[in-house]
Amino acid sequence: MANDREILRELWEGKLPVCFKLDADEVVELQQPDPFYLMVPRVSYFPLVIDKVRKHFLRYIASDKMDQVMWLEYNGQPLKWHYPIGVLFDLLVKTDDLPWRITAHFEKLPEEHIYDFKTKESVEAYFMSCLKEADVLKYKGQIVSSMQIKDHTQLWMGLQNDKFDQFWAVNRKLMELSSEYENFKHIPFRCYIEDGYKQALVKPIFEDGQRKTLQDLLNEIFPGQQTSLINIYTVLSKLMLSLLWHSHLKYNSRSAFISSSIFFKSLPLRTSTISSAFTN
Amino acid sequence: MPSSLLFGINNEGRVHTLSTTGSFWRELPYAGQEFKKLSALPHFLWAVGGDHQIYVYVHGLDIPIRVREESYENERWYPIEGFSSKLLPTDRFRYSSANGLVNRSMDTIRLPSMAWQWEGDWKLELTLDGHPLDHNGWTYAIDFPTQYYPKKQWTSCVRRRLWVRSRRYSAMNSWCAIAPLHKDATSEPFIDISIGGQSVAGAEAGTMLVWAITSLNRVMFRVGVSTKSPEGTRWNSVAVPLGCEVSQLSVGSSGLVWASLACGRALVRVGVTRENLQGSNWVEVRNPGSNLKIIQLSLGTNAVWAITQDKQLWFRKGVKGEGAGLSEDLAIGSGWIEMVGKMALVSVCANDQVFGVGADDRRIYFRTEVSHSDLTGKRWRTLTVPLQVSRASSNASLSKDKFHRSTLMLSRPSSMYESSAICDYNEQSHSAPTAPTSLPVGDLSTKFEAQPKNPKAWSPVHSVGSVVGMEVHPDTDESVWSECSRDSCIFADEEELGWADYEAPWSWVEAGACVIENNQMPNWFAIGNGTNIDELDQPWRRQILRALKDRLPNSKIYSEYEMAIDTSSWVQTGEARVSLKKSAFLDCSLQLEWLHNNGSLTILNPDGASAMVSFSLNEISCVQNCSEPGNPRLAIYVPRLSPPLVKLQFTSDNSLEEWQTHLHVTCSKIHNIVGKPSYSCVWTVTKLGDIFIWDPTELEKNQLRENDCYVQKYDLSGKESPIKVALRVGCSPGTVITLSGCFGDDAERVGINLDAESTYKIKSKAYTELENTVLHINPRFSDNCVVRNTMIDGKWGREERDGAMPFARGQEFTLRIETTEDAFILSVNNEKFCSYRHKIPPQSVSHLSIWGRVQPFRLVIKSPEIILDPYNVFWRQIGGHVRKVESCNVGVTWAIGHDQTAFVFSEGWGGGFLGTMESQNIHPMTDSQDYRVYENQRWNPVTGFASAGLPTDRPMWSDASGKQKRLKDQVKLQSKHWQWISDWMVDFHVPGGVDKDGWQYAVDFPASYHANKNFTDYVRRRRWYRRCAISTSGPWQELGHTKLLDVSLEPVKDDMDTVVVVWALASGGQPIIRVGVSKQNPMGNGWEHVSSDKPLSSISCGPFNRVWAVEKKGCACVRLGITEEKLEGEKWMTVQPPNGGELKQISVNSIGIWAVDQLGRLHVRKDVSPTNPEGNQWQTIYPNPSVLNSGTNTKCFRQVSVSRNGVWAVTDGGSIVRRLGICANNPAGSGWDVFPTEKWHYISIRGFN
Repeated sequence: MANDREILRELWEGKLPVCFKLDADEVVELQQPDPFYLMVPRVSYFPLVIDKVRKHFLRYIASDKMDQVMWLEYNGQPLKWHYPIGVLFDLLVKTDDLPWRITAHFEKLPEEHIYDFKTKESVEAYFMSCLKEADVLKYKGQIVSSMQIKDHTQLWMGLQNDKFDQFWAVNRKLMELSSEYENFKHIPFRCYIEDGYKQALVKPIFEDGQRKTLQDLLNEIFPGQQTSLINIYTVLSKLMLSLLWHSHLKYNSRSAFISSSIFFKSLPLRTSTISSAFTN
Repeated sequence: MPSSLLFGINNEGRVHTLSTTGSFWRELPYAGQEFKKLSALPHFLWAVGGDHQIYVYVHGLDIPIRVREESYENERWYPIEGFSSKLLPTDRFRYSSANGLVNRSMDTIRLPSMAWQWEGDWKLELTLDGHPLDHNGWTYAIDFPTQYYPKKQWTSCVRRRLWVRSRRYSAMNSWCAIAPLHKDATSEPFIDISIGGQSVAGAEAGTMLVWAITSLNRVMFRVGVSTKSPEGTRWNSVAVPLGCEVSQLSVGSSGLVWASLACGRALVRVGVTRENLQGSNWVEVRNPGSNLKIIQLSLGTNAVWAITQDKQLWFRKGVKGEGAGLSEDLAIGSGWIEMVGKMALVSVCANDQVFGVGADDRRIYFRTEVSHSDLTGKRWRTLTVPLQVSRASSNASLSKDKFHRSTLMLSRPSSMYESSAICDYNEQSHSAPTAPTSLPVGDLSTKFEAQPKNPKAWSPVHSVGSVVGMEVHPDTDESVWSECSRDSCIFADEEELGWADYEAPWSWVEAGACVIENNQMPNWFAIGNGTNIDELDQPWRRQILRALKDRLPNSKIYSEYEMAIDTSSWVQTGEARVSLKKSAFLDCSLQLEWLHNNGSLTILNPDGASAMVSFSLNEISCVQNCSEPGNPRLAIYVPRLSPPLVKLQFTSDNSLEEWQTHLHVTCSKIHNIVGKPSYSCVWTVTKLGDIFIWDPTELEKNQLRENDCYVQKYDLSGKESPIKVALRVGCSPGTVITLSGCFGDDAERVGINLDAESTYKIKSKAYTELENTVLHINPRFSDNCVVRNTMIDGKWGREERDGAMPFARGQEFTLRIETTEDAFILSVNNEKFCSYRHKIPPQSVSHLSIWGRVQPFRLVIKSPEIILDPYNVFWRQIGGHVRKVESCNVGVTWAIGHDQTAFVFSEGWGGGFLGTMESQNIHPMTDSQDYRVYENQRWNPVTGFASAGLPTDRPMWSDASGKQKRLKDQVKLQSKHWQWISDWMVDFHVPGGVDKDGWQYAVDFPASYHANKNFTDYVRRRRWYRRCAISTSGPWQELGHTKLLDVSLEPVKDDMDTVVVVWALASGGQPIIRVGVSKQNPMGNGWEHVSSDKPLSSISCGPFNRVWAVEKKGCACVRLGITEEKLEGEKWMTVQPPNGGELKQISVNSIGIWAVDQLGRLHVRKDVSPTNPEGNQWQTIYPNPSVLNSGTNTKCFRQVSVSRNGVWAVTDGGSIVRRLGICANNPAGSGWDVFPTEKWHYISIRGFN
């Protein structure tokens, strides 16, 4: 699966139209600023893409707030910076109303909900730590530790600059099954629900050697909860794809990262269950 | 990687094959014989049958095995009777071999076995070194062991002529019994067989070694087995030490033999060398433990695996096949290592990969991760490959009744079917044949209860040649192995076959013919890497893809949104060393800048402040890897710069490739090149084997068009006369050149010339340039006339000066020169002025030159032909590593690797350094090359030959020229993608011959070398070689096993669905035709052999009914009788080579017949006409100064490629040159246009129209 370039590319190219508005209470100028429209990549993080937005609004706020951190809010919920943009959207936006209207604030940072994200380096550090975590789950961490600093940088720069090829040239190593292993040890994934995420050690195959599907995985995390599964589906309805496919972009779209090649080979056997999920 | 075959025998004794590109076990056509043991090399299978007799199976060869028997008839001249067959007692035999030492009476030359058939009767050879002979083929000499001449002279005392007759191995694709040792085949049957020795160091190519064991525990060596003689000549008993009872043996690829003894120990045959293929003596090796008896052994090259009676596996460490012939220690190794796993049988490939049959489950296992550095590998993996059950397999052919049953059963669940098949098997074994018989082969469906007409022919019988083959039906052979698949094994029609997904209990696996590389695992295992191709079309995948695409509905309405991440501009920086103007390499930093749609590369001084050179990316003509071993380098050709070459040196292969990728991607972007190349591409290959294309459709798209003409406009208003403008296109009829300008007030004489390339004459090694002017327009204001004239070779012709004076001083003018079939028509200021008949073919016009007091404004050229400026050509790289590429104009392109592997273009792009990014349709590829060094020695009276030379001598280890010092251990590989696949070895196949240690002798160093030391020889040399292989990827698919020397493609018709004729030369120089090639099926279906008496070295076809070839001896030949119905033609006709030249390469097309000779001169066939398509004579074209100056060290031509309307060549200096001025009246053209890029090796312009 890690070499199904068409799908990978499509996932990478996923973009969201966003309309940023400055909180009206924070405007000090007479004239309200124009909203700022931006196409943001689903696989990226907000801190990486909102420099322009910040610059745009800066003129309209009180001068003493100018060095404050800009934070974002949707429907009264502060947006967690360390969630990929696509995940945030799929989690929070329940309507098909696009563009996504986000309010920008410079005041009253809700520190209990979101961390201070002054620098891109902190995002990078978080990204890298996720990467290591996933690699530990899959290969006991051998791949990341064998990579050079240069590769890490390339991976990060690829994501930051929206360079698919640059990113995948390195990411491929993380996605390929090394010949030493027939399978990943565990599936690195996170299942985001409204108030956080669930994580568990799930092996990619059953004991009898059969490969697990998404359905099997969900059954394992939410055992015996057929109804709650439905709920998850509703929460994740638009995200099902991400859950499935973001496995390939596992590290940056954190909706779930599921060991892919194993996963996919088994899919045709259970297409019915999966597709019912899609149409939900 | 060519596909190769793994063989297995199942519990029924049926032989199955598994192709490395396939994923099904297929049964070999069953011919009524079960087999117990198998041993295989590619194309050659030896087996012990159920009757304990030996059988040979030759399969998958595209070229028939043919042997040419020669017999020289010698005669001596006597004063009265003239030439007579009566010879002197001291003379050679009347019929002899070439050297006269062997009696070759034609009646004693017989077929070696019944597996051979004669192809025609004895014939006289009527040419000598490419020159036709009269006098019934006699050649004359003063005495026998001397030079023979085609003409009789007064000194000619002897004469001889050559009789030839070819025989062909006709038992191809069928089991052929080897004659038993005794008349009664049951008295000493065989119990084991092994074949190997395909790479004995220095041995003749094609050598194979076959060893066998008889039931009396005698060890037998088969003499004379080779690819030319697959069944060998006779058995030789090899004595074993007293008391040793040999039970099983295995031959490694280097000829090393290990045998296991009944007592459990092993015997090793040492001293196997190219001179003594049978080895010299046995050495005993102890078993792994006192009660662990070795029962089976298998050898690769450096690996020896053994199984003891408790099914335990053992690996012998320290064995090294390459040195085993000379060193006992390397042959016997140093100790046993216990391996994990219980196996009933183990089999090792030539490259030391290991297969086994599990001891309990009888499944086939493969050892993963076996490599040169780790011969023991990591883990056993089961092959999970379904088995094909064919009609022929199920014992069904025994009776019609059963056959029907089994076909019915095909539709039933496989388990049911299988059990019944076993029933059949049991039944049959009850009624097992009572006497050893070998059964008829070929025709599967005929029941063999019917008694063969001549029963004697079916059973192995003693005969003169000691071998008896079986009667063979060549017709039915074909149907069994129809040649419609690229696998070397071809099977019966698909609908006859069923597939059973069951676990077959295997009794034997044979990997000797199988080649597996770690990076290219066959699809034989349950869980593999990567996407299964089948997945791509699965509905769930398409659904996911669609859902992904629909994530953002109406995406158009957001097109105004700013992108969060701006990817349209970026800068890439890096460090490198640069060489400009051929200077030494200096440190620099690189800056590649991309701004929206344009980019530039700046090379800065290391301080980063000042630029050494900077150019826009659209000025780049080519980015080429020009690494030398250890120095990763990139050549960037920027025609604007002088010289156009910028060389960059990087610190590592990785950073080289990173920059190569950046430059490739950006340059492609700037030239708007995406996706697959068009059909009319020009293909080139560099000296390093990289492949480049130039797509003329890009040029065509960008060139201005007016009606049907291509237009090129020049603004000359800033220039001052004299001016010379290269037109880049000849004035073929229909061309219109419009020049506007203004004469000066004081203008006197003004010249406006259409010039052709100069003629060069050599006078005492200096070139004299003789100018040619096609049309000279010379307004003379004082004479009030316009003079028109033509200059040929520096001499003016007769002036034409009639007509009024249309020009005036100080006035603007527009001059229009229109070319018609027979004249130039000149108009001034839109009024016809005069016409001027052609004196020189107008196609040869190459420049416009203007002199005198005139200011030109604008020049517009309208030409019916495309205007190609070599400086605007952009070469795009395509992945892969090959030696040559040949294309044709309907989009079928083939390539040949350095190891002569044939590839077919998959219409993809990328690969190689681009990896899987920016790539499409790419496949893994390998190619191999030899590094060669020469060891030189000089004789001195004290020590004889020694490695101490005179101070003036060449280095004692050198390259072929002796100028460069080359030490074996200092030879580095080209890049990280290469690896050594052999050790240094002495080369015994050097032109000129070698002695038994590989030495060649000469009087002094830069002299001709010969094989035997003469009294006057003071120096000697020998060649060492070491093979290395590259693994890369590219849009190329491997064709099959047949190695090719040369290939030529040509469509039969002009539409896109036409059949493409593919002529090729197999590695032995045999011409072959690929059947069924078309745009839809670029690989075609199979090879058809075209008979030719002499080996060929180059072949070319164009148009499809004209095929020319060059014989190895240097003369040309034409294929006659080719029609659309009979594409292979009828016969060859020899064409004499040009005087004093031996041709080496030829290219033909409708525009002409061009050839390059051994001295690098170019020849074109003259007087070619529809009635005389072969032409009458060769015209030689010597390289002129513009060619000689085109690149460093250019002296001659290397290769020529001819399309329907152009001739391009590659010089030995690596430049591409284009012949100008070719037209019907002047098929040789005049002058050359030189491309600014270098380091090319091969070009094919056959797609370019």
